[in-house]
Amino acid sequence: MSQSTEVEPSTTAAPRRTATPVTATRRRPARRAGTPYAFLAPALILFTAFLAAPIFYAGYLSLRKVQVSGLGLGSKARTEVWAGLENYARSLSDPDFLPSVGRVGAYGLIVVPTMLGLALLMALLLDANRTREAVSKFARISIFLPYAVPAVVASLLWGFLYLPRVSPITDVVEAVGFTAPNLLSSDLTLWAVANIAVWGGTGFNMIVIYTALRAVPTSLYESARIDGASEIAIAWRIKIPIVMPSLVMTFVFSLIATLQVFAEPMTLRPLANTISTTWTPLMKVYRDAFTRNDIYAAAATSVIIALATFILSFGFLKLVGRRAFNQED
Amino acid sequence: MSVLSAQKRSPLATTLLLLGAAYCLLPVLWVLIASSKSIGELFSTFTLAPSTHLLDNIVDLNNYRDGLYWRWMANTALYAGVGAAASTLISAMAGYALAKFEFRGKSLVFNLILAGVLVPGVILAIPQYLLLAEVGMTNTYWAVLLPSFISPYGIYLARIFAAASVPTEILEASRIDGAGDWRTFGTVVLPMMRTGLVTVFLFQFVAIWNNFMLPYIMLGNDRLYPITVGLNGLLNQGANQPSMYTAVVTGALVSIVPLIALFLTLQRYWQVDLAAGGVKA
Amino acid sequence: MKTKFAPLMAALTAAALFTGTACSSSSDSSKGATDPAEKVELTYWSWTPNMDKVVAAWNSKNPNIQITVNKQDGGDAAVTKLLTAVKAGSGAPDIMQAEYQKIPTLVSSDALADIAAEVGSVKGKFPAGTWNGVTLGSEAVYGVPQDSGPLMFFYRSDVFEQNGLRAPKTWDDYAAAAEKIHQANPKQYLGTFSATDAGLFTGLAQQAGASWWGVKGDAWTVDINDAATQKVAAYWGGLVEKGVVDNKPMYTPEWNAALNDGTQVGWVSAVWAPGVLDGSAKDTLGKWKAAPMPQWDAAAPKTGAWGGSATSVTTQSKHKKQAAQFVAWLNSDAEALRLLATEAFVYPAANDATSALTSPPSFFADQPDYYTIAGEASKTLAPFTYGPNVNVAYSAFNDAFGKAAESKKAAAFTESLATIQKTTVDDLKNAGFTVAG
Repeated sequence: MSQSTEVEPSTTAAPRRTATPVTATRRRPARRAGTPYAFLAPALILFTAFLAAPIFYAGYLSLRKVQVSGLGLGSKARTEVWAGLENYARSLSDPDFLPSVGRVGAYGLIVVPTMLGLALLMALLLDANRTREAVSKFARISIFLPYAVPAVVASLLWGFLYLPRVSPITDVVEAVGFTAPNLLSSDLTLWAVANIAVWGGTGFNMIVIYTALRAVPTSLYESARIDGASEIAIAWRIKIPIVMPSLVMTFVFSLIATLQVFAEPMTLRPLANTISTTWTPLMKVYRDAFTRNDIYAAAATSVIIALATFILSFGFLKLVGRRAFNQED
Repeated sequence: MSVLSAQKRSPLATTLLLLGAAYCLLPVLWVLIASSKSIGELFSTFTLAPSTHLLDNIVDLNNYRDGLYWRWMANTALYAGVGAAASTLISAMAGYALAKFEFRGKSLVFNLILAGVLVPGVILAIPQYLLLAEVGMTNTYWAVLLPSFISPYGIYLARIFAAASVPTEILEASRIDGAGDWRTFGTVVLPMMRTGLVTVFLFQFVAIWNNFMLPYIMLGNDRLYPITVGLNGLLNQGANQPSMYTAVVTGALVSIVPLIALFLTLQRYWQVDLAAGGVKA
Repeated sequence: MKTKFAPLMAALTAAALFTGTACSSSSDSSKGATDPAEKVELTYWSWTPNMDKVVAAWNSKNPNIQITVNKQDGGDAAVTKLLTAVKAGSGAPDIMQAEYQKIPTLVSSDALADIAAEVGSVKGKFPAGTWNGVTLGSEAVYGVPQDSGPLMFFYRSDVFEQNGLRAPKTWDDYAAAAEKIHQANPKQYLGTFSATDAGLFTGLAQQAGASWWGVKGDAWTVDINDAATQKVAAYWGGLVEKGVVDNKPMYTPEWNAALNDGTQVGWVSAVWAPGVLDGSAKDTLGKWKAAPMPQWDAAAPKTGAWGGSATSVTTQSKHKKQAAQFVAWLNSDAEALRLLATEAFVYPAANDATSALTSPPSFFADQPDYYTIAGEASKTLAPFTYGPNVNVAYSAFNDAFGKAAESKKAAAFTESLATIQKTTVDDLKNAGFTVAG
């Protein structure tokens, strides 16, 4: 394993954290105070224009609604008026909203552990280096490959593979003599959608964990191996604790992606009766905004989803400690 | 389990890795086979039996509305290439400032950026459209490019990489040599962060390449479409048109080839340690 | 024509006559009469294939009014973009393809310009029922009808022959045929109930006599859970529950495969079906026949519509007059109609269309009377009024009937209508529309 020397000192969290206060005290006040702001300026301007402003605008829209008078057919029959919290009340009391939240919860319970479990397993297998180099390289590239496939295209491909009549899975299962299940029936749809996410995300998380594993000096477990510890014991007692910060981060980012599940069910929807237009909360946003042309209700639901995401992910980080986000102060 | 044994090669490890690879390659294999079929064969012959019409399908795709498909590919390359490059530079500057300077409002800025990572694109698309329409920029290349210049995730990564790979001592030395902040950034910081920045670039490149919602909302002229929006259009032709499945399937295959090539050539950069902050080359 | 717009219709007729005489000279006879020196460039959003080829004919003859076609991804996406552009105040095209069921939505969002003064003169070239779709029963004109989609029935004549069946005259015949075919070969279905195609179900309800929206004085009425629609839902629910028609959506790879390999042997569709069959069921060329729709009452034949659209000028166009001039030409000029039929494969709405449609579509080459059947069907189109929130009703349809189709229970089909009715009325009331009843 060859590592460039410039990175070596900071590959594990521990030395870095002790180094930081030292460097902080060494900083020269002589530097011009405006410099960091100048470096930040382009990012802050774009952040304001394309993230902050739209978010505030969405917040504003969520408090508005359109008021139509009479038949609403003449021009200027619509006026925009204040709605107060009406959109929020409607969004939260929508009979489709809570089930869609529950569905995403169940989806997350399937996707996150499966995906991260597989990613960890594959990373450990790669790291244990107990197969031919060629096998290991082939597997690493193959498993990472789905990350290159856009979610829209991935769902399209899996959609073909799910439909009983055109699926090779059905052909194979029936050739063996079983009745193939309809993967898009009401019992299995959630799993079918989850599978696409697992397929697309395992490789990326595997690479992240694998990178962290490779940073572990082999000397750490060489002695354990000499003492006769099994590979599983080494993985469990030495490797996994060391990559824990990486696991925490992959968990947070997977959680965020899970809450935002959209492209996969959206692409599968026309193929099945079992995916409604409000199957996930973001699909409800999409339906309100694009099918019903009610951007006000969509904005209210958006704000609710954004708040829930913040609370969940920041809450989790609080729980595991801020060090995972590398905050220095 | 045989992993317990101390022998050098483990058949179980090999089997598990190959199973994982097979699972990941199945849909790719399917699209490869499906794009070799004519429209008649696509749904009638055994799914995994290849045929001989790949070239015909590519020719058909090429002829679709005078090569519009290639224009979509070129647009995608433009959006992803220019967008990722600009985003990487902006992220590098911001990440460097956050990692190596002390200033008022630093933690506020950092928390804002973290919050930005969490905002779903679907939510932003409509307000972004309405705001860009105010300045008359919808339905232009800029409508897709400008919003992709900012990547909170890229800034977050760049900050990690800057903290990990730019020793403060070297910055001090550069300053003692009389170099200005910008020169230090250009000649010392950027080269040191190079490996990490390639990763940021790749992240953002893939993110823009995958993005559907933003261009879908922003663009009315299909000569400006990226590939995801274009393919979606081929699939959803409306009730009175047949879906162009062979074009969609072949188009999907052709569209992932450049990304796979990019992955293979730059795979050593795909080694990112999210938590500890190093990129190992 | 039976209409719920009676009070408005009188005004409409008078206004149309007035505007018709007022501007027939300017918009019809002299091309480019409006300041010939001014050169304008207009954008046109359409999802019709090869529309650019039709437009090329106009562009070559009208150097001062140049049209650029921007192809769109189907009606819903284009409407969303248009409405967003209208809200934003810029970004809309000059000219827009608008499905009939979207016109009330677009008009109530102030997206479509009233071009009565410019195109009123072509009113006489269209069937009255179709023209009503672009006026909404008012004196305004929000577009010129382009194509229409009268429902027709398509079936595999070879399969019918094997089973000793003839094309179904009534829905009872259809049910009997569906049962016989499925019993003879359990893999075969005469049709499927598609919960993703609200437009088709609307057409079927229209045929049965429903008109889901209406105007009563100054208020909208919503009548989705009426007796006629109940009858249609119960009928299809019964067939699905029996298992003699399929319950899977249309326009999936699976459905395409089923059409092509002969397991879907019939399709209740519209006049544009040959284009879809040509793309999806190539292997069955020559085996399909077109027939008029099965009827509820064979003595009084009726049909509904699925699809069809008008060409409208948007409120953001700065060249309304020139745009309207093009719109009128596109949908009523003899050459344009011929190009629409032969290049863009649409079934033009204009009365003159029959002259452009001399030979049957290639997928039905053996059926020289194809367009005669279609023409007869057009004449029996039942009146139907769309409201300002068709999309709300349609997405409620997708969800409610998706569940019903999955459950395969006839009761679930009929109960779904109450849900859709309630969702649609609640939405109208919430937006502030006056709703009667």
